[in-house]
Amino acid sequence: MKEIIKNSNGKTKLSMIIMGAGQLAYGRIGKGLLFLLSEVSILYYFISRGIEDLKGFFTLGEQKGDAWLGIQGDNSVIMLLMGIFAWIVIAALVCLYRCNVKDAYHMQKLAQQGRPLPTFRQELSSLLDKKFYATVLVLPVVGVCIFNILPIVFMILIAFTNYGGDIVPPELVDWVGVQNFSKLLTLSQFAPTFFKILGWNLLWAVLSTTLNYFAGLGLALLLDKKCVKGKAFWRAFPVLAYAIPGFITLLAFKFMFSYGGPINQLITASGGTAIGFLDLDAKWSARIIGLLVNCWISVPSIMLLTTGILSNRDESLYEAARIDGASRWKQFQKLTLPFVLFSTMPVLIGQFTGNFNNFGIFYFLRGGLYLDGYFLASDTDLLINWLYNLSIDNNYYCIGAAISLVIFIITSIISLIVYVKSPSYREEDTFQ
Amino acid sequence: MRKKRSAGKVVDTTITYILLIVVAFIFFFPCLWLILASFSKSGTIYSFEGFFPKEYSLASFQKLFTDTSMYNYPKWFFNTLFVAAGSCILGTFLTILTAYTMSRFEFRARKPIMKTTMVLGMFPSFMGMIAVYLLMTQFNLINHLWGLILIYSAGAPMGYLTQKGFFDTIPKAVDEAARIDGATNFQVFTKINLPLSKPIIVYTALTSFTWPWSDFILPKLLLKEKNLYTVAVGLMSLDETEFARFAAGSVFIAVPIVLLYFCLVKNMVNGMAAGAVKG
Amino acid sequence: MKRKSALFMAVIMGISVLTGCGGDSGEKKDTSNTGQSANSVFTGELEENVTIRVLENDTAISKGYFDELINAFNEEYKDKGITAVDANMDQYLDLANDGPYGYGPDVLYQANDIIMQYADGKHIYPLPVESMECYEQIPETAWDAYKTEVDGNTYYCGVPVNVQAPMLYYRTDLLPADWETTWDDDGNKVPDMIENWNDMYAFSVARHGEDSSKYGYMKSLYDVYFSGGFLFSYGGYVFGDNNTNPKDIGFSKGEAEKGAWVLSQLASTMNEECIDDTITTNVYSKLADGTYFATISTPDVYSTFLDELTMEYEKEGLTTEEAKAKAQENLVMTTLPQLPESGDLTEENPTLIDTKSMGGVNGYAVSAYTKAPNASLAFVEFAADYEMQVKRSEMLGVAPAREDAAEEVGGVSELLYQNMEKGTIVLMPSIQEVSQIWTPAQTFFTDLAKDAFRSESEKKYPDMASMKAGLEDVDAQIYDAIFTLK
Repeated sequence: MKEIIKNSNGKTKLSMIIMGAGQLAYGRIGKGLLFLLSEVSILYYFISRGIEDLKGFFTLGEQKGDAWLGIQGDNSVIMLLMGIFAWIVIAALVCLYRCNVKDAYHMQKLAQQGRPLPTFRQELSSLLDKKFYATVLVLPVVGVCIFNILPIVFMILIAFTNYGGDIVPPELVDWVGVQNFSKLLTLSQFAPTFFKILGWNLLWAVLSTTLNYFAGLGLALLLDKKCVKGKAFWRAFPVLAYAIPGFITLLAFKFMFSYGGPINQLITASGGTAIGFLDLDAKWSARIIGLLVNCWISVPSIMLLTTGILSNRDESLYEAARIDGASRWKQFQKLTLPFVLFSTMPVLIGQFTGNFNNFGIFYFLRGGLYLDGYFLASDTDLLINWLYNLSIDNNYYCIGAAISLVIFIITSIISLIVYVKSPSYREEDTFQ
Repeated sequence: MRKKRSAGKVVDTTITYILLIVVAFIFFFPCLWLILASFSKSGTIYSFEGFFPKEYSLASFQKLFTDTSMYNYPKWFFNTLFVAAGSCILGTFLTILTAYTMSRFEFRARKPIMKTTMVLGMFPSFMGMIAVYLLMTQFNLINHLWGLILIYSAGAPMGYLTQKGFFDTIPKAVDEAARIDGATNFQVFTKINLPLSKPIIVYTALTSFTWPWSDFILPKLLLKEKNLYTVAVGLMSLDETEFARFAAGSVFIAVPIVLLYFCLVKNMVNGMAAGAVKG
Repeated sequence: MKRKSALFMAVIMGISVLTGCGGDSGEKKDTSNTGQSANSVFTGELEENVTIRVLENDTAISKGYFDELINAFNEEYKDKGITAVDANMDQYLDLANDGPYGYGPDVLYQANDIIMQYADGKHIYPLPVESMECYEQIPETAWDAYKTEVDGNTYYCGVPVNVQAPMLYYRTDLLPADWETTWDDDGNKVPDMIENWNDMYAFSVARHGEDSSKYGYMKSLYDVYFSGGFLFSYGGYVFGDNNTNPKDIGFSKGEAEKGAWVLSQLASTMNEECIDDTITTNVYSKLADGTYFATISTPDVYSTFLDELTMEYEKEGLTTEEAKAKAQENLVMTTLPQLPESGDLTEENPTLIDTKSMGGVNGYAVSAYTKAPNASLAFVEFAADYEMQVKRSEMLGVAPAREDAAEEVGGVSELLYQNMEKGTIVLMPSIQEVSQIWTPAQTFFTDLAKDAFRSESEKKYPDMASMKAGLEDVDAQIYDAIFTLK
């Protein structure tokens, strides 16, 4: 950038002042107009509401609304949200501006070297070829920015406000700094429960990920065997399980294991006493049922995925291995596993975090219990369930956001390390 | 020697089939239970003999589709179909393109994007729901089905890493050969890579179809009017005494997904002749 | 570039500090406004050509009452151009979340605790109730459920429509044939087990003893709405100062442990299904097929019990008409039996006290986000008048809050009305903190139910002292849940 500022000529400088002006000066009308248009529209946004939104981001509202008095008030959360949106627009503007200046400079250089400038048409067609990636990524990046990044930033910022409890619109929300975090740190009741739950949560995430993954992979391999006839038919059973929405499955399983459910009916009919599989004394049986039910729900999709991936493996290697007399186990260990692990590493990590934050499973199977030795939680609750009990039940959004930020940092550090170290990130062309 | 081998083969096949039957049973039994419950005549699960109803009838299905004054299941069903189909097409398109790009192109922002998306996917999502809701009120997209499609398909590319992993295993040699012959990157993608990646497209389509189909939280948040409900929200709003209807609704929900699976199944296994590229 | 952006940030921060100051002075300005009357939106001038969206509960819609109501209203207000329509939304919607953005209803029918939570956030308007026709007819206790005080002024935020409280359901055809001689000691032609819990307990034991597949009184214990009443009968309460002080939590107060003991004695006559929610969902069919003799539930599910029983009789070969008549004759809904003062259900000739129960008053409120407050108010007045109330009660089986309507309908409605006047119906607290009582209390009741099926040595609640301790834990947990993060 520094270099551009130093070496730029008049036309490039023109672009620095008005976006697209330099391009116009070089006679690239189409491109110049596009840049100009985008600048004008962004400016229009800022004049019409962007500046207000930015101001709102810092004040979070000045006028408290009161319907009884007919006072139209400010809505703090909306102001925060639109404030973030304005920041994103600013970021977009900065990016565009840089593109614009760089582009003008690029043209300046071409002109100095006496080479022909690319026409608008040529540039457009390069978007389908050399810059294909940019064309393709625009839409996803914009979508992800608005519907994923914006909400996440919003939640992170909420952790630094007093939003929640009694303070919801029309009350005004305020910035409170790190007060929520210090509250979490100083609460003595929190620590024992936190570590108890964290321990179980990690155990749960590891166990269920391993179980789901290897069960899914095993199933895919089993169905992939040459001797299996009618593969589509056999695969249909897990797909059927996959087709029923998760919450319905969970409710159905909860009923099956309840005191009046069919399993207990069979037990009592054959003379036994009913067993409380999921009731409040049933720590481990509830945990194991959770593990198995989760497996039942997740295995089909892992099976479908690994089936697709397995079909891409190199048969000639297996041929060679067979000629060398490698056992089936050896083939699995040396060929199949590395191959599948390589291409499903992101899935594995996704499974891990998905399971780590698996809210539904114990909420549906065994919700509504606070047990002895736990602070407002039960012995099957995961951190996310605890978070729900603490924040959503109470509407303490700010505390909830603070806790989820802590959980988020823990999980993302773990998985980022694993991911960056994994071959699917470091050596992307292992299986080329 | 040969005899022994074929005997081993028979044992192997038998074991395989026994395993398959066990697996099929494990997956099928709860579904069967739900299916039969939906055909129960009495309409309540508590009059069952063990796992299964005493008497069967089609009444609850009939009720499901004809008694629509309170619970308009057919309407919910078509709403869901619309949302799921829309997000499936858009979402699959975006995801596959993103994954392909991230696998095939070298550019500066690539690794940072990979790391960022990895991390972003980890945020406990239900907290972000408040923000999504507020955002949609600002865009006036509450009570619009395509508002849902927008969110589902915008979120879909976040899961591109799986598909990228697949593309990473397709040899680049083919691309280069084609490019030498003068094909543009766009052509390389549509003519060469796309046909090779049928299995992963099927997987992506299936998952992005199923997700809106079974999601409960987002539609509940964004659809306030009862006749805009999706099936999942509608089923949850059923009265507790409506068990047979609930079961019937849950069973019927699975039909399109199973149909979709059977339509796509022949593409599940790649047509790529193994070794042809390298050899 | 870096230095530049730092400068940029500094400027922005500076602006924000300035605007922050501006904010303070702005707030001070409008405190002068608060003296105005909040009722000023209700000018009495009806907005013309408006559509009001009304949220009713699902039962009222499915039984056809709601259609009649809006049709009658639309007929009456046709010339004024006001139309009422079904809001077509979830009956448990969240006005605080949807209203501000224009997605809520104009008029809503809800329980008093929910309406008053909205009132706290000023999501609904206070209503000029003194000038309404129904004001005199509705008892003060019902109005109190909607009363709130803001800045020293008293406001009423809803119009009571009907009273919800647990009722005893039982079947007369399941009584022993000779009950008039064996189960009616006082000879008042009312079976003893309907009059007091001691006889209900004895009958439950006897019925199960005769045939192990049959039970007497059955009810899942975890449900605080029903189990809470037993604690309240012996002096327990939810919050102190008439349910307004969340610092004072009273599940263990008074002799509430006696109530817990009663519950655990009752649980011992049931089976394990009382531990989870099984009985809550299967009670309709099990009462119909005769497995259970009695249960408690709210009046609004009367028709569900009736439908199930009718179906059962039809299966026995009666025609639909006959079956329905027989079901109506045999299914009885009445007020709760009395409790022994000692809490001992095995005591002979106990001193009896009234059973208190946790109840609610459902009513109408007007959203603060409505564009047509006067038309909405007109709808509320119309829906709360005598004629509609009688019709509502007849079609839905609910107990009206209006005295004249309750008298007209008679029966259970009148009894409930009397109970409310007498104070044996403890209204649900109307403060927001009430959302924290459910899980702790539910856990305790579940544990209590489970205790009935633990072996003698493993029992967690073998005596009243341990029950008291358990209830104190509940109080402590609720306190923690409310205040730890406040």
